[in-house]
Amino acid sequence: MSDGSRGRDGSDGSDESDGTDNRRDRPVRLRDGNRTTRLGDRIERRALTGLAAATVAVLALVFYYPVGTVLVESVVVDGAVTLGVFADLLRDPFYFGELARLFAGESPLAVVRGLLGADRRLGIVGFTAYQAALSTIASVALGLPAAYLLARFEFPGRRTLRSLTIVPFVLPSIMVAVGYVATFGRNGTLNAVLGAVGLGPVDLMFTLEAIVIAHAFYNAPLVARVTTAAWESVDAGAVETARSLGASPARAFLHVVAPQVYPAVLMGAALTFVFTFGTFPIVLALGGFELATVEVFVYRLARDLNYAEAAALAVVELVISLSVLGAYLRYEARHTVTSRGVRPLPRRPLLPSAPTAREVLPRLGLGVYGVVAALVFLAPLASMVLASVTGGDGGLTLEHYRFLLERQRTGAAFQVRPWPAVRNSLVFAAASALVALPMGVVVAVITTREYRGRKLVDAVAMAPFAVSGILVGLGLLRGLVFGVEVAGWRIAVAGSAAIVAAHAVAGYPFVVRTVAPGLESLDRSLIESARALGASRARVLRDVELPLVWPGVVAGAAFAVAISMGEFTATVVLATGADAYTMPIAIERFIGRRLGPATAMGVVLLVVTGVSFVVIERLGGEYDGI
Amino acid sequence: MIDETTEADGSTGRHTRRRFIALGGAAGVAGLAGCSAERTGDDGSGGSGDSDGNETNGDGSDGDAEDAGEDGESETPTLTVATYGAFIDAPSVSPGEWLKGEFESRVDATLEWATPDNEVNHYVERAASGAPIDADLYVGLTTEDLVRIDEELDDDLFSAAGDVDGADAVRDGLRFDPFERAVPFDTGYVSLVYDGTETEAPETFEGLLAEEHRGDLIAQNPGGSSTGRAFLLHTISRFGDGGVAADGDEEAVEGDDGDPDYDYLDYWAELQDNDVRVLGSWDDAYTSWSEGEAPIVVSYSTDQVFADMEGADLQEHRIRFLNDQAYATPEGMAVFADADEPDLAREFMSFMLEPEVQGEIAQRNVAFPATDTAELPEDYAELAQEPADPVTFTYDQLQGSLDAWITAWERQYRGN
Repeated sequence: MSDGSRGRDGSDGSDESDGTDNRRDRPVRLRDGNRTTRLGDRIERRALTGLAAATVAVLALVFYYPVGTVLVESVVVDGAVTLGVFADLLRDPFYFGELARLFAGESPLAVVRGLLGADRRLGIVGFTAYQAALSTIASVALGLPAAYLLARFEFPGRRTLRSLTIVPFVLPSIMVAVGYVATFGRNGTLNAVLGAVGLGPVDLMFTLEAIVIAHAFYNAPLVARVTTAAWESVDAGAVETARSLGASPARAFLHVVAPQVYPAVLMGAALTFVFTFGTFPIVLALGGFELATVEVFVYRLARDLNYAEAAALAVVELVISLSVLGAYLRYEARHTVTSRGVRPLPRRPLLPSAPTAREVLPRLGLGVYGVVAALVFLAPLASMVLASVTGGDGGLTLEHYRFLLERQRTGAAFQVRPWPAVRNSLVFAAASALVALPMGVVVAVITTREYRGRKLVDAVAMAPFAVSGILVGLGLLRGLVFGVEVAGWRIAVAGSAAIVAAHAVAGYPFVVRTVAPGLESLDRSLIESARALGASRARVLRDVELPLVWPGVVAGAAFAVAISMGEFTATVVLATGADAYTMPIAIERFIGRRLGPATAMGVVLLVVTGVSFVVIERLGGEYDGI
Repeated sequence: MIDETTEADGSTGRHTRRRFIALGGAAGVAGLAGCSAERTGDDGSGGSGDSDGNETNGDGSDGDAEDAGEDGESETPTLTVATYGAFIDAPSVSPGEWLKGEFESRVDATLEWATPDNEVNHYVERAASGAPIDADLYVGLTTEDLVRIDEELDDDLFSAAGDVDGADAVRDGLRFDPFERAVPFDTGYVSLVYDGTETEAPETFEGLLAEEHRGDLIAQNPGGSSTGRAFLLHTISRFGDGGVAADGDEEAVEGDDGDPDYDYLDYWAELQDNDVRVLGSWDDAYTSWSEGEAPIVVSYSTDQVFADMEGADLQEHRIRFLNDQAYATPEGMAVFADADEPDLAREFMSFMLEPEVQGEIAQRNVAFPATDTAELPEDYAELAQEPADPVTFTYDQLQGSLDAWITAWERQYRGN
């Protein structure tokens, strides 16, 4: 993509505002203009600007302002501005390990020696980054074979399987913990299988490995989905050309296919790192306090109302996460895939067509992967379902589901009931996807134009992924639920609409990430032609650009829906006092001193999400993307 | 913008797509509209700006309008009682529904529950932000809550209980608020629960350090779980704090073990060497314990009540009071200083202390009554066990120390 053409695109922004009547009056139109009034035209011309303004407003209202009210406490203590909290934090070896000595003014050489020493201390922050890196590697390792399978092979149930890969994304940690202990625990499925084939028991629980595997459970599907979409977008023609020019299949893969898939893999990896860097309840559930991460301390400090330190830690998290995202964004900008597939690579049957090594080996590898995937993904899910039908005496029972029915039938108005939770979840998910889509598209358009600092804008737009969820919740409470006093009136925001907005903010970065690479790679001459023919910028976006990057749009929408279905922190804050609770909240509220009813509700979440995604992606057509 | 149906190449797919996008914009606008405004200083009992013009809410959310279609303008006053979620929602421990029915049948008032997720911190935040407190009293305060609240806020969040009928019956050891704002209504004891078919739990703290109990104990993070915190405090009571929280003039806590050179951090170092597991929440720990990851878990001394409910083998749910002690976790209730219905709130507190109600709360919340006049079934004590020697730190002991104790523990335990 040449810079020149993008530069021209950049200047289009001003065209919108000063009106380009001469163009509009040209006889050739993209649509039949009979029914369109001048007013409609004018609105359309301003649509993009309007949408951008609305996006900024929503972000400011339900994200930047609320979060700002909390983060500012790290530098304003008792009304005075200070960097003391940060100074103390950075110099604390508990958090920064050997690096703290650097911040404390020791010579870099001594610090490097310390880091290379056998008894080096990583500190909480260092450890958090370390486990996030391991989790990222594991997620990519488990996600890529799935992408290979889904993108390159044809088999019955392929699309359903792909739809269901999003399910792990929405599961609350309590469910995953139940599933994981039952699978990898001392008396779990894994040891039962190993015992059956005569292998000794393995003790995986309460180790770093357990955490990393659980993180892969959540994030490998993300890697798989983004990579599958990129792989499916590879143009078969390009591969055929390479092959006809004498390239071996391996060479064609390396030079044609791989470069188009890398960016997606890296995006999955970058997002996985950020998500696992901010990990919280699962670490203590499966690992234990020896493996506590930064967010554990943010939670503790916030709970004990020690906001200055909590906010400072959250800022540290934010800076590290945004740096990783920023590095990825720089890469993305330089390695945009310039052509999107018009004709995807043909899928192969899952059964080998001939007994040759080339036919058999990849399938054999996938078979091995299938076993691993069954253990990592299916066994915990099966254990969750089993837990929901297991009574206190260990026997099978439907008692927990009976509780759900009974609560639904006889529950008091002030109690959380299952059906409203399901209904609210579905409504919020649909509504927040509808809000997240235009937000994401607008930000994608803004950040794919050429100007100084656009990558900074892009990184800041990703902030909802990188800010501590605990502090976002606190910010929403202060900024929205309590409201602001203006001229004797207290303006407060809460309830369903605020929840939808908060979910949209949490999900829209996915839309940006899935749409922006496509927009960046579009052939600019298409847009220029459309503009020359009198189309407004918004209309070009709607009629030309978006249809061409549609798989990315649908993919982003799917993630936005998933985020909404699984969201807890913001929802629970904004649903206060209102009948606006969702399924994850119901699960939490049903935890008493018996976990059965909560696991039954968890299975409801599992099923509702699974069915929703199969339906969504059926409706989305074959180009359902990520 | 969305009504143009005759596209030049209007395939239906494209059309749907457009609607989709345009509707998104509309919903965005709706999202912005979800706000409310209220006169400040207005003493409407609601106050939390709930709002939401959205469809889904059958029973609206705001204070007065909620119950049984009763009109907020009727003469019936509304008492808003804030508490934690499990008090009304958890299938195993929730006296909320019964209490509401019973109270409303006795008093001409409507009781409304409020259960913000941050629990009492929600009201601390409200007070700190200058937002109105939209509840009359809080049910479920602990000693640590009061310490934290008093450290955080300059003004009183709660007012003194004053004259509450029946408050005399509260057992002496449970009165945890030196300023007599919070009145205890029940208590629990944090003890060990163990699977008697796997191991025989030790009778003393020291016993947990024995080789035969290596890797046997699962506890919870004191920074995030109340059972974990209670167990940590119990070890401090037993072994002393070694002066961790002393800032000069303050006295160190001396342990019952009588050894001034051995404190809770020493004990925890040995416990960690013996492979204790410190997980996150109570349910993390209990899940792992139930799955047989380890035979002993820090939990409540009422565990057998639940086991019995589910028909589990009581041998697998045995209680151990280390050194015949358990850490008491009394729960109190207090009237908000800004309560709209302070008299009604005090009436509710008296109601909570009545012998019959005390018995019901204890059974429904699976805890122990706070009064010595409670009416409990004869066999309640068979399954719900009380220690011979309950221990608990007073408000004064916790004040200024709790945070330092936890921080010191975190740094030692996680410091590797």
